[in-house]
Amino acid sequence: MLGTVRVEGLSKTYTVRQRKGLFKSEKRAVEALRGVTLDVQAGEIFGLLGPNGAGKTTLIKILTTLLLPTSGDVWVNGYHVRKQENQVRATVGCMLMGERGLYWKLTGRENLDYFGALYHLPPAARKRRSMEIIDLLALGDIADRTVETYSSGQKMKLAFGKALINDAPLLVLDEPTNTLDVPSASELRAIVRDLNAQGKTIIYTTHIMAEAETLCDRVAIIDHGQLLALGAIDELKASLGREQVVRIEGVISSRALDAVRQVPGVRQATRTSLEGTELLTVVSANGHTNLPLLIAALSQAGALIQKISPEEVTLEDVFIAKTGRTLAEDTRAR
Amino acid sequence: MPDHSPTIRSRLAVVLASTRMRLLTISRYPGQLLLDIVIPIVFAAMPILLGRATAGADAAAAFAANTGTTNYVAYMLIGSSVFMIVSYAFWHMAYWLRWEQETGTLEALYLSPTHRIWVAAGTALYSCLRGIFSALAAFLVGSLILRVQPFGGGASAGSFAPLGVAFLFILSGLIPLYGMTLLFGALVLKVKEANALINLMQWGISFLMGIFFPIAFFPPLLRLAALLFPPTWMTNGVRSALLGVGFFFREWYLDLAVLWAFMLVAPLLGYWVFARTEVSVRRNEGVGQF
Repeated sequence: MLGTVRVEGLSKTYTVRQRKGLFKSEKRAVEALRGVTLDVQAGEIFGLLGPNGAGKTTLIKILTTLLLPTSGDVWVNGYHVRKQENQVRATVGCMLMGERGLYWKLTGRENLDYFGALYHLPPAARKRRSMEIIDLLALGDIADRTVETYSSGQKMKLAFGKALINDAPLLVLDEPTNTLDVPSASELRAIVRDLNAQGKTIIYTTHIMAEAETLCDRVAIIDHGQLLALGAIDELKASLGREQVVRIEGVISSRALDAVRQVPGVRQATRTSLEGTELLTVVSANGHTNLPLLIAALSQAGALIQKISPEEVTLEDVFIAKTGRTLAEDTRAR
Repeated sequence: MPDHSPTIRSRLAVVLASTRMRLLTISRYPGQLLLDIVIPIVFAAMPILLGRATAGADAAAAFAANTGTTNYVAYMLIGSSVFMIVSYAFWHMAYWLRWEQETGTLEALYLSPTHRIWVAAGTALYSCLRGIFSALAAFLVGSLILRVQPFGGGASAGSFAPLGVAFLFILSGLIPLYGMTLLFGALVLKVKEANALINLMQWGISFLMGIFFPIAFFPPLLRLAALLFPPTWMTNGVRSALLGVGFFFREWYLDLAVLWAFMLVAPLLGYWVFARTEVSVRRNEGVGQF
């Protein structure tokens, strides 16, 4: 089915040469993926997270037919990646190498036209599609300049545009906001959301947790070639089973404190005074979903709420729990 | 999503788009096109001047005794001009792969549903156009500079038949030549190196195809190796048609038939090896790693 990906027991082993001095080397097998099974559903934004060397690029390269798997099966848009690779390629739009993968001596428009030809678009369709992409990404002012004169961010935008040339139902975007400034990154995320709203499935890798959290419907966390977690972001957070803390500032009476303690799931509620303001700290098993109940209980007990600060479990917490390190730490180590 | 299934027309469009892309790229380096004409003239001028310096006034006679033509200047110019076509074929095809690998566009090509052979065909067409333009321009400009009748010995005034035969040899030689470049491209894909390989090959190629001398000078085994190399037949065919040095099998159509036999074998062999290398590379590190 278009817009879907099914991965079953996927493994990939590389042979690498381990250099030992000037002339000596030794062959070594590296298991980049170990029995990964996952699925991407039509119309979702699917995040692929993992530290460097985790295997996510290998996975993406197999999905896009750049690499052949050692074992296992993969279907992209209903097509088998080994047996129907041309159909897979025709129905996927990819942005894998950032600003690389463009012809720097050609203009932006010439690049789009050339890639359109590679996707077998007739000349008129190529011209029309190139124009649409140039308009969508606001590249009109630079479209007829050679790519070598573009800024890094402009090259990234064009590379993103190239992924749209075949109007594919599935987009694979590998860190598309890298090197973009904050407004451009935000603009690109908005375009990704729009494309998703138009029905396109998006596979999105990023090193920015907040980006994954705000953009993705579901995520997969991969490390050492293994799938460590897969699911909706809220499900993954809930799976940590952590207590959550909500801090409430205001005028909170003893009656309000007692009312809060009666709310199901509340493990602990303490009231302290801080610079004339009372601070209620509530520890709850399910603070996120309990928040409306807490507010209702406080209001009914006559409390005056000035500020609520829920300290939520983040995707970063999930990542740390699954991999033992932060993604930011890992990115810095690159 | 529109149906973008490949048709013969869309595949030909890829070939033309690939040629156009490379022509656009080279048009942004205009100085290179001028150098394309100068290089073969300089290349031929060195042995010509050396010959004049060592043989003096007897140079033409001594040369005719060994080659069958007194027009040694045109002989050298033909050798260096055909070598330009051959050299460009190897450079363009091998360097195309390497360059695309380094800039990241090779992976982008492999992401598209177009088979690489069509992109390679576009690159080959570009290379042919550039090589033939350079060879022709260098031959004519070189003949003017070195003050020699370019067709002396074969083509007579008013007859264009020898020119036609010469072109036929060049065109027939191009197909097996680009088949061979696919073999070389496979090697580049595997070892991820182009410059050193091409530099090394250049000398071997120029030697084997006899750009400045007849291969009759070779010992038997080396002569056999040279005859297994299509550019040797191209060079001798053009020289025989234009200067009358003599075809290997006496008749032009017999020599041409040998090139046509190469035409059947070399592209198929090149494609087969290239396709196998591709699969092997994709099984391991992928085409983008360099």
